[in-house]
Amino acid sequence: MILLPAVDIRDGKAVRLRQGRFDDETVYADDPLEAARSFVEAGARFLHVVDLDGAREGEPVNLHQVERIASELAVPVELGGGLRSIVSIRRALASGVTRVVLGTAAFTDPDLLDEALSAFTSRILVGVDVRGGQVSVAGWTRETQVRGVDAIRRMQARGVTRFVYTNVDRDGMLEGLDLDEVTRISQAVRGRFLISGGIGSVEDLVALRELRLLNLAGVISGKALYEGRFGVREGQAALDGKGG
Amino acid sequence: MIAIVDYGMGNLRSVAKALEHVGAEPVLTHDHARVREASGIVLPGVGAMPKAMQRVRSLALDELLRERVEAGVPLIGLCMGMQLLFESTTELGGADGIGLLAGSVERLEAPKVPQIGWNEVSWRRTSALTEGLPQPCAFYHANSFAPRPADDGDVLGTADYEGEFVSVVERAPVYGLQSHPEKSGPDGLRLLRNFVRLAQVAE
Repeated sequence: MILLPAVDIRDGKAVRLRQGRFDDETVYADDPLEAARSFVEAGARFLHVVDLDGAREGEPVNLHQVERIASELAVPVELGGGLRSIVSIRRALASGVTRVVLGTAAFTDPDLLDEALSAFTSRILVGVDVRGGQVSVAGWTRETQVRGVDAIRRMQARGVTRFVYTNVDRDGMLEGLDLDEVTRISQAVRGRFLISGGIGSVEDLVALRELRLLNLAGVISGKALYEGRFGVREGQAALDGKGG
Repeated sequence: MIAIVDYGMGNLRSVAKALEHVGAEPVLTHDHARVREASGIVLPGVGAMPKAMQRVRSLALDELLRERVEAGVPLIGLCMGMQLLFESTTELGGADGIGLLAGSVERLEAPKVPQIGWNEVSWRRTSALTEGLPQPCAFYHANSFAPRPADDGDVLGTADYEGEFVSVVERAPVYGLQSHPEKSGPDGLRLLRNFVRLAQVAE
């Protein structure tokens, strides 16, 4: 399992939101590249970058920042937020990111999903953001009536093999994961998935490791890292079963 | 100066940035005169090898690289650039490579390709290229094909993806990595720094 530090970009700055609410933000760095660089220097092997403005606007807004991160730093980068057309996806991948996370578009535009999957195969991940038990889209501003596991099953039927599962209610709260929920998602996913939302301590990572879920490829952590609850190296060691 | 051979396949900025980071002065070029000035040559690449080989040939880079290697200039191929160093590939019905290393490039035997992600490389022996790196050492891979060197002595590092495959080769002054060192964190940068030092020594 890999620990992926999250770099969320809004108005050109690295920020964290609580529970995906745009009116509850904390700025952690004026330059997202510097936030990302400090994670890499602390031992990060992969970065999860979210263009929050893009998620709201429906197309990438901070691609220039993303490109700087992807080209300056010696680790792979995945990008989510506002990728709702094949042109945006192409531009994002051309900017140097290794893979992209589709959210809204995967649920609302099946033709785009098919096209993206056939052109970019495993470079496409689908983000399943769940709020109040239901899938949430359009930058967490709109809920649907679809449950997370049902969304995963439907996406798999269309050929999606990689997922990012986020519990938006827990995101930024540092209160830990619902391990039963993670296990249910693991049972539904036939490919591989990343989990995000709620990690608050090294103990949370140890508990996750102890579930021994073979298809859980990694954990995305934002606020806990920014707030120094644990370091990247310490967190990765906990996931590797070395200390922690 | 390190020449990064630019033949129009892929985003080379991250390779250039990584080389700058380890103190080299990389130049992106396919100009023969510029490449001849370089103390070390990096051959990157992403995509399909047959198409890449067409471009390499149309720019007469195969001849140039052969000449430079005979002159003792260190050359490292990265990812598909490493595959180009071999004699042939089975990709897309088959094509020739540059042929600086004996052997062919074949599809990974795993049912699911490409492999994308971090994978641990085990060193078969020591080398100036891998100085200071742990055993095993994780690198970021993104590939469906991998080389099958005809000479087992050329194999420097192997990894496992539902079966062993060759990830790092060395037949000085020719080196090759199936992975992306520019995306492999501090260990990847360390390897590039080692290559840059080899280039300086050869100068």
